[in-house]
Amino acid sequence: MTYLATFHWGWLLASLLLGLAMGWIAVVHRGQGVSKTTARWLAGLAAALVAASLTHVVPGRFGYWLDLGLILFALYLAGCAVGSWLRDRALSRPRA
Amino acid sequence: MHGLFRWSSKWWPGTIPLAALWAIAAWNSTLPLETDLATRSNAALRDTVLDKARMVVAGRDVTFAADAFSEDGRRSAVASVEAVPGVRLVDDQTRLVPEAKPFVWSAERDVARATLGGSSPLPAIKNRLLEAARAGLGGVEVVDRMNLSRGAPPRFDNAALLLLDQIGKLKDGKVTLSDTKVSLSGMARDLGGREAIAAALKNLPEGFSIAANEVKAPPYVFQAYKDPVAVTVTLTGYVPDNNVHAAIVTTAGRKFLREKVVDNLKASVGAPAGFANAVVPALGALARLSTGTLVVSDREVKLSGDALYEAAAVQIRAGLGKDFPQGWQFKPEISVRPPAAPVDASVCQQLFADLLAKGKIRFESGRATIDPDSMALLDRLVETAMRCSTVNIEIAGHTDADGEAAFNQDLSERRAQAVTEYLVKAGLAANRFTPIGYGSTQPLGSNDTDEGKAQNRRIDFVVRKGE
Repeated sequence: MTYLATFHWGWLLASLLLGLAMGWIAVVHRGQGVSKTTARWLAGLAAALVAASLTHVVPGRFGYWLDLGLILFALYLAGCAVGSWLRDRALSRPRA
Repeated sequence: MHGLFRWSSKWWPGTIPLAALWAIAAWNSTLPLETDLATRSNAALRDTVLDKARMVVAGRDVTFAADAFSEDGRRSAVASVEAVPGVRLVDDQTRLVPEAKPFVWSAERDVARATLGGSSPLPAIKNRLLEAARAGLGGVEVVDRMNLSRGAPPRFDNAALLLLDQIGKLKDGKVTLSDTKVSLSGMARDLGGREAIAAALKNLPEGFSIAANEVKAPPYVFQAYKDPVAVTVTLTGYVPDNNVHAAIVTTAGRKFLREKVVDNLKASVGAPAGFANAVVPALGALARLSTGTLVVSDREVKLSGDALYEAAAVQIRAGLGKDFPQGWQFKPEISVRPPAAPVDASVCQQLFADLLAKGKIRFESGRATIDPDSMALLDRLVETAMRCSTVNIEIAGHTDADGEAAFNQDLSERRAQAVTEYLVKAGLAANRFTPIGYGSTQPLGSNDTDEGKAQNRRIDFVVRKGE
């Protein structure tokens, strides 16, 4: 993991920034969200992929791509969470 | 917290550029990542001794195949690759180098090429052997047919290096090391090569032994040629050392009646046992021939030439081999020279006088046993007696004045008798000869000097005309 972080920090940073931006937007976005059922399915899928990655069942290059995708996705989610939280605070402060 | 769930339902649009980002990252990073992992895995194995190491990286997974020289080495090699940061899985295809039983190593050479074959324990030792072979066999192409195997005996490298040294002393041949047993075969380059190799093999490391040493040396050749025209006897070839050299030249001087000894002998090691004991009687036999060649090759003595008369040929053919040390072979090719033209009594007397002027019939001191060194002279006397077959001859024995007169008288008689017996044995009619002893009554020189005494001790052949 450390190795991947040092080797790919550029890509990881990009996905984090993408996450931040998406999170920032998501708070004020008026479009349709993902339904609860779909979200559950997606969470299940993500869990399955994480499990596949941790158990090393996917071999060779596909295994590497899976790891890479999951790390990018994890940082994206983290970026989203931070972005949304910051936007929420930015919106709530002037009201207070 | 509740807000986070609400917002998260709207995070999905960002996954589309994220997927694009992922694809680009995968596209660009896979090959550099694999190269980096391969470089660092190989670096981790730099100090590990392996044969046929092969590494294939797919993603972060490494397929690692290699032949290791011990189970510990194999495990530690796999562990080092597993410990490389970034490596996810190691597909372990390592195995142990096959064990050779028996562990056979060989070195074979001919004039132009040396081939190292069989098993070698470690790459480093294999390279050392090849370097030693190249250095030791200067100018000879060295071919490497060695495999790497486990199971070498302890101190294998020392033994193999010693044997490589020995193969340098061969013209062609093969050295095989099977576990701790050494076998050698081939032809030594020099006369003493076989002995030099045998001596060097005593330094084999502990535990190694010689199973077979069939190294042959070039034949040890000694030759003597009696040339009746040039009146020389030419000695060529080898003698074991300077003492034997001097002894052989002295013997030749005594045994050959008139011939000048031309000494072209060289001293060299590698002589077969009993060399001098075979060569000395063989030279005596050569001296009895009118012309002939003596070739001593290892333990085979070949004597060819012409004897002066039939009985001498028979004696040499049958007698010489008996004088040889055990294991020596005698191959006579003796023919008989055609008899010379008959001569009359006065010429006959002249021929006897000439022969006895050149050499004397010698006896053991104080006894009537003829010295074998006088055989050549006696044969010539016999031949001369055959040329004048009608005349009778008095064999006159003389002594010096030392000792009692009665003893000298008796000795001179017995010596004359011994010479007569020799002539009769050679096939001459006994009634032609009259042995007579004169004791010291007819001196030729002074009995006061050694020279004079030597002149007085003699056998004379006196032709009796008209009887």
